[in-house]
This record gives sequence, C-alpha cells and structure tokens, in this order.
Amino acid sequence: MLKNYIAPVLLFFVVLIIQIIIVPLIAIQDVVPDLILILLVFYTLKNGQLYGTILGFIFGLLFDLITGGMIGSAMFSKTLSGFIAGYFYNENRIHQYYKSLTFPLIIILCSLIDSVTLTFISNFDLNVNLFRLIVNKALFPAIFTAVISLLVIIFYPKRSYI
Amino acid sequence: MIRFFRNIWFNFKEYIVLVFLLIISLSLISINDTKSVRNLRTFVFGSFASITSIFSDFINISNVKEENNFLHKQNTELMLQVNRLREYGIINEELKNLLAFKDTSKYDLIFSRVLSKSLSITQGTFTIDVGLKKDIKPGMPVVDGNGLIGIVYSSSDEFSIVRTLKNTNLKLTVKDERSRVQGILKWSGNELVITNLPKTSDIKPGDRIIISELSTLINLPLPVGTVTKLINPEKGIFNDVVIKPFSDLVKVENVFVIKTIPSKIINEQELNFYKN
Repeated sequence: MLKNYIAPVLLFFVVLIIQIIIVPLIAIQDVVPDLILILLVFYTLKNGQLYGTILGFIFGLLFDLITGGMIGSAMFSKTLSGFIAGYFYNENRIHQYYKSLTFPLIIILCSLIDSVTLTFISNFDLNVNLFRLIVNKALFPAIFTAVISLLVIIFYPKRSYI
Repeated sequence: MIRFFRNIWFNFKEYIVLVFLLIISLSLISINDTKSVRNLRTFVFGSFASITSIFSDFINISNVKEENNFLHKQNTELMLQVNRLREYGIINEELKNLLAFKDTSKYDLIFSRVLSKSLSITQGTFTIDVGLKKDIKPGMPVVDGNGLIGIVYSSSDEFSIVRTLKNTNLKLTVKDERSRVQGILKWSGNELVITNLPKTSDIKPGDRIIISELSTLINLPLPVGTVTKLINPEKGIFNDVVIKPFSDLVKVENVFVIKTIPSKIINEQELNFYKN
C-alpha cells in the first residue's frame, strides 16, 4: 500500500521544483499552471478515489510546508481535488483518459475546485466579487493548467512505466 | 456489530477518509502559528531551499549576476533616497519647518536572490537566499528597486520565506502620500485593496500609496503602489480603493531585505502584532 505512494511523492518533489522555479517564468499576468494538480489527477485516475484523496492530502501538506503557505490550506483543497478526480476513476478506461481530451477536462474541473476552495479557506471575505474571483483566479489558471496537461496526452507512453 | 462497521467502512470508506483528512487540514489551519509548526516549516523549507538554490543557479546567468546585483542595489538605494526626500519635502511643507527631523541612519540593505516563488492565489510567498546567518529576522521589509515586495515571515540559517503583498495574511497600514489619508492595505485574492475608507476621504486615481508611520510592521515610508480606481464610489458609506503595486511580483528576481528593527523591545512588541 505504502509503496504505491513512493513514486508519486518522489515525482512531486521534481514537479515542485519546476513549479516554483520555472513555472513563474511562463506566467501570464500572474496566471500560472498548477503542475502539482496535474500529477495528482494523473495518479488518481490510475489508482482510484481513496488513493487520490490521500495523495492530495500528502501533496497539500508538503506544498504548504515547503512554500511557507498557511499549513492546511493547500492540504484541504488538494484533498478535495483528489477526491473529485477520483469520481472519474474507471479501471477499464485508465489509458483512454490519458489519450483523449477527457484528461484536460477533468483537470479544469479539479483546478476550479482547488482554486475556489483555496481562496475560501485562506481568504473568506463576503465583500469579494465571487464571479470575478472565479474568472480571474480560478478559470484562467484552470485553462492554463489544462493546456499544459495536454503534454501528458502527447507524451503518455504506450506502455506504462510510472 | 463488527460486521455492521465493516459494511459501513466498505461502503463509505472514501467519504470517511475524506472527512477525516479535511478535519485534520482545518485543525492544522487553526494551529498555524504555533512554535512547533513554525519550527517544522522552517526545517522543511530550509532543507528544500538548499536544493532549489542549486537549480535556481542554472537558470540565472552567472556572468551578469554581479553587475546586476550592483545595479539593483544602487537602484534600490536611490529609490529609497528619493522616496525619503519626497516624504521630507511634503512633511516640511506641511509643518512649515516647525519640526526638526532627526536624520535617519543609512538603510542597511541585504541583497538576496529569489530562489523560488509560490504564486498561489491567496498565499503568495517567495523563498530568498539569506537567513539568520545574515541577521535576517521575521518582520523585516523586503523591497526591490520599485517598492515594497513583502515581509520576512520565517527564517532558517541560510534561507527565509517572504510573505508578499499578494498574501491574504499580510495587512499593512498605508497612507496616500498626497492627502495623508490612512488605511489598511490587503490582498483580496484578486487585487490589492485599501478597504473601508470613508467616502469623504480625499483619494484619487494616480495617487502614490506608501507605508504609514502608524504601521506596526514597517517603520519606513516605503512606496507600495498607485491608486488605480475606487470601487463602488456611488453607494454605501465606505470606499474600497484598488492599488497597483510598483513592483512586479511575477518578474522580480533580486530583492533587498532592509534591516530596520530599531530596538529589541520595540521589535518584540511589534512582532506580537505580526504574530497574532
């Protein structure tokens, strides 16, 4: 059981380095893709809802600790995102997901949930214009993340190594 | 009975685990600023930052680094000097030379590279490559050549985490440089705003916003940004004012930490506000 988490956690560190060093260089008006979420959804679709929920929790905890954010905020949002992504788990369609546009669409949904939850958890303010917040800070990053996730479709190997 | 619980677990384990993990997450949010959590965070980010600094070095072009650093430092010093002179000019005009200001000592600037950025929606943080060894302490302001970037939040021996202006936990007392109207600046998750200003406040688009002398976190009149617009000026009794920061937090690569803590006692008292 634990063995299943080692590879994604090791990959998490590699992806996190890219996320915090290279991704800011390709930011468009503050909008950045969330590579951690792509990794989370990738493994959730492969291993199921329970796995995704726990993996989201682990990713969130590590992310909060390393980036100095409010501990618990990314944990909450990533746990929820992993859980939602888990609804799309289907043993018979695992490889089809990574070869079709379903994958970026799941990414968009999970990214929206992740962003909105994170915003509510760390900045609950009734005065904030929710529509603008969702469009500017959730929808655009979600689309950007989905576009980057197309790389998974392009480079997904015919045989599974990861 | 055991069978009953087994059935429940079998049928609802995903939901049980989800609720359990979400409760843990929410509990951790409430103990965020305890000493043990701070120590853990300092240890983890300190360890990880030493790895990211290696990768960060590859990205930065080494041969122009020194020249760049020198120019950045000069630029920042000039910015601070201009800002201080501007501030002195306004105060002198207002008080008609009745007040004599004691000349403040030269700012002690510590150059630092931004190793990594977390461009989160609400929790914007930078990791910089100076820490306790260079006498960097939580609460010290961080600037670049254009203005304020944020405040040092946590430090390990070699590295520090900076809470940027785009962090909902950073709230600063600021003022309009022209009209001297004071307000609280915060990141709404979408934009930088000064909230709940009375309608009668004399504040206009284009006004420069600087740190107020009332600020318990920063005791320098550092430039923050300019007013871009007033939100809902036609209704209610308060205005929210949108600020565009002078510094581009996405592009900034090199920053300076200003060692400004004047005395240990004041420092401790002020940090109490910051920690609470």
